[in-house]
Amino acid sequence: MRVSRGAVRAALAIVALAALPFAIGDFWAYQLGLFYLYAIAALGVGVCWGRTGFLPLGQGLFFGLAAYGSGLALIAFDGSPWLLVLVPLAAIVPGLLAFALGLLVFRRRGESGPYFSMITLALSLLAYQLANNWESVTGGFNGLKGIPGLPGLDSYTAAYDVAATALAGSALMVAWLYRAPLGVLWSALALNERRVVLFGFDTNRLKAVAFGVSGLLAGIGGALYAPQQGLVTPQLCGFALSADLVIWAAVGGRARLLGPALGAIAIGVLASELRDRFPYWEIALAIVFILVVLFFPEGLAGMFTPIARRFRRPVPSPAPIAAPARPEVAQPSRLEIDGVDVKVGEVTILDRLTLALDRSAIHCVIGPNGAGKTSTFNVLTGELPVQAGAVRFDGYALERLPAHRIARLGIGRKFQIPSVFPQLAIADHLAIALWSARARPLELLKPSLRRWSTPLLDALRERYPFLRHDARPAAALSHGERQILELAMALLGEPRLLLLDEPCAGLSPQETAAVIDVIRWASARRRATIVVIEHDMALVRHLAEHVFVLHNGRLLAEGSVAAIQADPAVQAIYVGAEK
Amino acid sequence: MGSVFVAQALNALFGIAALAIVALGLAVTLGLLGVLNLAHGEVVMIGAYCAYVVQAQGLPYVAAIPLAIAVCAVLGWTVERWLVRPLYQRPFDTLIVTWGLSLLLRKCAEAMFGLGYKSLNEPVSGTLEVLGATYPRYRLLLVLVAVVVLTALVFWYRTSRTGTRIQAMVGNPELASAMGIPVSRYASATFVAGTCLAGLAGVLIAPLVPVQPFMGLDHILMSFFVLVVGGLGSVAGLVTGSTVIGGANSVVSALSDSTGGYFCVLALAILFLWLKPRGLHAR
Amino acid sequence: MTTAPRLAFERLVGGYGEADVVRDVSGAVAPGEVLCVIGRNGVGKSTLLKMLFGLLGCRAGRVSFEGRALDGLDATARRALGISYCPQERLVFDDLTVRDNLTLMRPARSVDAFAPYFERFPVLGRRLAQLAGTLSGGEKKMLSFVRGLSERQPLALLDEPSEGVQWENIVHMAELLDAARGDGRAFVVVEQNLAFAERIADRYLVIEQGRVALAGRRDEVDRDRLLAHLQV
Repeated sequence: MRVSRGAVRAALAIVALAALPFAIGDFWAYQLGLFYLYAIAALGVGVCWGRTGFLPLGQGLFFGLAAYGSGLALIAFDGSPWLLVLVPLAAIVPGLLAFALGLLVFRRRGESGPYFSMITLALSLLAYQLANNWESVTGGFNGLKGIPGLPGLDSYTAAYDVAATALAGSALMVAWLYRAPLGVLWSALALNERRVVLFGFDTNRLKAVAFGVSGLLAGIGGALYAPQQGLVTPQLCGFALSADLVIWAAVGGRARLLGPALGAIAIGVLASELRDRFPYWEIALAIVFILVVLFFPEGLAGMFTPIARRFRRPVPSPAPIAAPARPEVAQPSRLEIDGVDVKVGEVTILDRLTLALDRSAIHCVIGPNGAGKTSTFNVLTGELPVQAGAVRFDGYALERLPAHRIARLGIGRKFQIPSVFPQLAIADHLAIALWSARARPLELLKPSLRRWSTPLLDALRERYPFLRHDARPAAALSHGERQILELAMALLGEPRLLLLDEPCAGLSPQETAAVIDVIRWASARRRATIVVIEHDMALVRHLAEHVFVLHNGRLLAEGSVAAIQADPAVQAIYVGAEK
Repeated sequence: MGSVFVAQALNALFGIAALAIVALGLAVTLGLLGVLNLAHGEVVMIGAYCAYVVQAQGLPYVAAIPLAIAVCAVLGWTVERWLVRPLYQRPFDTLIVTWGLSLLLRKCAEAMFGLGYKSLNEPVSGTLEVLGATYPRYRLLLVLVAVVVLTALVFWYRTSRTGTRIQAMVGNPELASAMGIPVSRYASATFVAGTCLAGLAGVLIAPLVPVQPFMGLDHILMSFFVLVVGGLGSVAGLVTGSTVIGGANSVVSALSDSTGGYFCVLALAILFLWLKPRGLHAR
Repeated sequence: MTTAPRLAFERLVGGYGEADVVRDVSGAVAPGEVLCVIGRNGVGKSTLLKMLFGLLGCRAGRVSFEGRALDGLDATARRALGISYCPQERLVFDDLTVRDNLTLMRPARSVDAFAPYFERFPVLGRRLAQLAGTLSGGEKKMLSFVRGLSERQPLALLDEPSEGVQWENIVHMAELLDAARGDGRAFVVVEQNLAFAERIADRYLVIEQGRVALAGRRDEVDRDRLLAHLQV
C-alpha cells in the first residue's frame, strides 16, 4: 500500500508530540498542554475564517460553555462512570449550539458576514455577563473552583498526554473534513458563493456546519480545560479569549490546516513569557496582527513550507470511481413562464413576460439592452423574486423555491463572465459539478467522492486536454480556458435545462467555433434544452433552432432565425423608430 | 404619579439620544461609505479619554471637544488612507482590519491609562425641574446637544453644495467621478467626519459611564444593532433604531436585569435580520 | 481632415477582465464635428466610449485629445482637460433632484442658464424639485443630455442619448447638437437609432465584433450598408 506524503508527515508530527515531554520536562509539558487546548479551539477559527470565509468573533462562548459544563459534571459526579458520557457531552453541546446558531444567522440572501461577526461578538459578551451573574451555578466572578482532574489521570505527564491526544485527534478530524467534498465546498463558497448555490448546494447549511465544527472544537478544548486547570472563570466566555483565538489563527496562518494551532502554541507561549517583561507586548501583537492580515495571509505556517508546495494539492489516486448515473428522462423538459412581472424599485424589468419551451433544442434569446434577458435567467435560477405570475418547470412551481433547490431540479447556468473558483484546482471544479447532481448530503463526508468520474467527463477531457491538468488552479488559466471550464462544469451537472449567458464572450474565433461545437454535441447527446443569450447574430445563425426576441421585458416575437430576420417589428427595435 | 411618568419619559428620551449620538459616527461611515468600522467603539473611547485628560488637567470641560475632534480627525484620516482605502472593494477584509485596529487602540489605551475605571465629574451638575419632575441637568444637556448636532448635520447634508456632492458620490460613484467630483478626497473627509462624531459622542457620554479601555465593545455592538433595526442611510433610521433598541433595553432591563436587556436586544437584532434585513427605513 | 483632430484614437484594444471586447478600433473627430458610432448591442460601442473617457484601461492603442496623449489619465483628469461623458446606464443621480443633477458642479443652484434647454424640454423645467430616480427612462436621458451639453466642454461623449426618448425630443436633441457644433464643439455619439444618427452625423464609425466594419463621412456611406450592420 502506497503511503501518502501527508500520512508520513502526520505520523512524524504525532511522534514529535508524544516525545516532547522528554525533551522539556514534565512541568513545562503540562504548561504547554494548556496551549494545546487553546490550539484546538483555534483550529475551529481556521475552519470558519480560513476555509469558509466568515469571521467568528466570539468562540469564547463555546469554550467557556464546555468548560463550565465539564467542570460542573466533574464536581457533581466525581469518580462516577457517568463522566464518560458527560464530559464528551460538554464538548458536543457547544457544537450543536453553534450549528443551530449558524442556521439561525445564515439566512439572508446576500451578505451576512458582518452580521454574523457582530452577533457572535454580542453572544460572547452576553455569556460573560451570564457567567458573572449566575453565581449559584457558575460561582460568579470568582468562578468554579476545585474541579477535580479526569479520573485516573493525575500526573503532569498524563495531563499533557490527554491534551496532546486531543490536539492530534482534532487535527486529524479537520484534515479529513478538508479532504472530503465538504472541505472543498467550504473553500469554494468562500471564493464564489453564488456559483456554489447554483450547483444545488445549500450554502447556508454548509456554513452552519462549519460553524458547528468550530463550536465542537472549542468545546473539546473547553471540556478538557476544566480538569486540567481546576478552575473555570467567566473570562473564558468573554471577549479576551475570543480575540486571542482570532489573533492566533491569523498569525499562525488561518488558511493552512495546522496554522491556527501553530499560532496558538507559539504566540501563546511567547505571550505568557513576554507579557510581564515587555509592557508593550500586546500593542506589538495587535500591530503584527494588522500586518499579517494585510500582507501575510499565510502567516507563520507559510514561512515553513516553500512556495512551490502551495500549488501541489493532494492528488487523488489514479483509479477513478464511476459516479452514480443521473436518471434519464424520456420527455424533453417543459418550461412555462406565465405573465411574470418583476420590478426593482420603480423600474419594471419584466412586464407580464410569457413564453414557453417544450422541445429539447437550442434556443437563443436576443434583444436590445435592457430587454430583460439576463433578468429572465435570474428568475429561472431563483435569484430574482417575481411580483406576479408563475414559472413552471417540469410541473414544479419555481417562483417560491430557493436557488439551490431549483438547481437540483435540473437547471444549470453558465455566466457571461467566467464564474469559477480562482484558487481551486481544475479537478476540484469538475468534482463539484459532479457532486451537484448526484451526491447525497452525508456522502459529502467521504473523501473518495473526489475520484468520481463519468463518461461525459472523459469525453470532455478528450476534447479539451487542458482539463486533464488536475492540479492547476483556475486562476492560472486563460480567459478562453476559463470559459470552457465553466461550460464543462455546467454540462457535467447534466442539467435538463441549460442556460448559457453569452458563452462566447471574449473568445477568439477558433475558441468560439469549439464552444459552438460542444454546445451542439451536448444538445444532441443529452437531449437537454439549451437556452443561449447572444448578441452576436453570426453565432445565433449557427446555433439556434429557435429564437426568442425580448424587448422592454416582454416577448416581442419568436420563431426560426429566418422568420425573425424577416419580421419588421424585430428590425425596428434594432434600428430605432421615427414615430 | 405624573412626575414619575415624566421622569421615566425623560430617561427614555435620554437613552435614545445617547444611543443615537454614539451611533451617528457609525451611521456616517457605514451608511454613506459602506464601511463597517469595528473600531468605532474605540474611537468613542478615545473621545472619552480626551475628556478625562482635560478634566484631570483642570481645564474647562468644553476644551475636551476640540481635543477629541483633533485626535479623532488625525486617526480617521490615517485609518482611511492606509487601512480602509485599499480595501474598499473587499468589505470582509475591512472588517478584519478594523477589528485589529480596535484591538490596537484598546491596548494603547490600556498602556496609557491602565485597566482601571476612570470616573469623571459631570461638568454641569445639579438637576432641573421639568414638568414636575427633577432630572439631572447634564443629561438634559446631552439630549439638547444630540438634537442640535443631528439637526445641523442633516440640514448641512441636504442643503450645502458639498453635502449634495457627497450624496451624489454615495449613490453613483462612477458618474460622480465622471463629473469631476474628487471621490477619494470626499470619501476621506466623510470617514473623518464619522470618527470625529464618534469622538464627540465619547466626550458627551464620558461623565456618565465608567471610562475604561473595554468600554468601546458595548458601543460598537449597540450602534450596529441600532443601524440594523433602523436601516442605513437616513436620520429617520438612526432615530427609529435608537428608539427601538433603547426602548427595549430599558424596559427589559428594568424588569429583569441588564443581562436580560442585552439578550432582548440581541434577539431583536436577529429577528430583524430575518424579517427586515434592510431595517425599518431602508434606503 | 484639414483641421487637427480634437480627439484621435488608434488601434484600441480593451475590455473587461481578460476578455477583449474592443479588438482594433481607430477613428478621429475634428472640432465642430459629430462622429456617430453605430452597431448592434454587444459589439463594443459602450466599451469604446469608456476607454476613451478613461473608465476602462486600454490594453493597446492610444487616445489623444488635441494632440496630447491621454495615457494614464483617469476619468476625473480627462474631464478636467475638457471631455464630458454621458453614460448609457446609471446616467443620473437617482437620489438627487433634477435641479441638483443639473447644477451639481456649478457654483450656485440657479438654473437661469438652462432656460434655452427648458424651452425645448419643458418637462425638465417643470420637474426641478422631483427626484431624478422617479423620472422615466426617456426623461432621464433628456436630463443627462442637457447636463452633458450644458458643461460646454470642447468634447462630449454621449452613449445612446436617444434611447427611450420620444421622436419630438430626439429632434430637439439634434437641434441642440447642431448649435453646439456651430460653436466648434465636438461629439462622439454612440447610437442605434439610425434616423437620429442620420440627422447629426458628420462621420460614421460602424463597429462589428469589436472591429471597424465601415468608416467614412456622411456622404461616403450608403444607408443600406448602415442598415445591414444594424439589423439582425
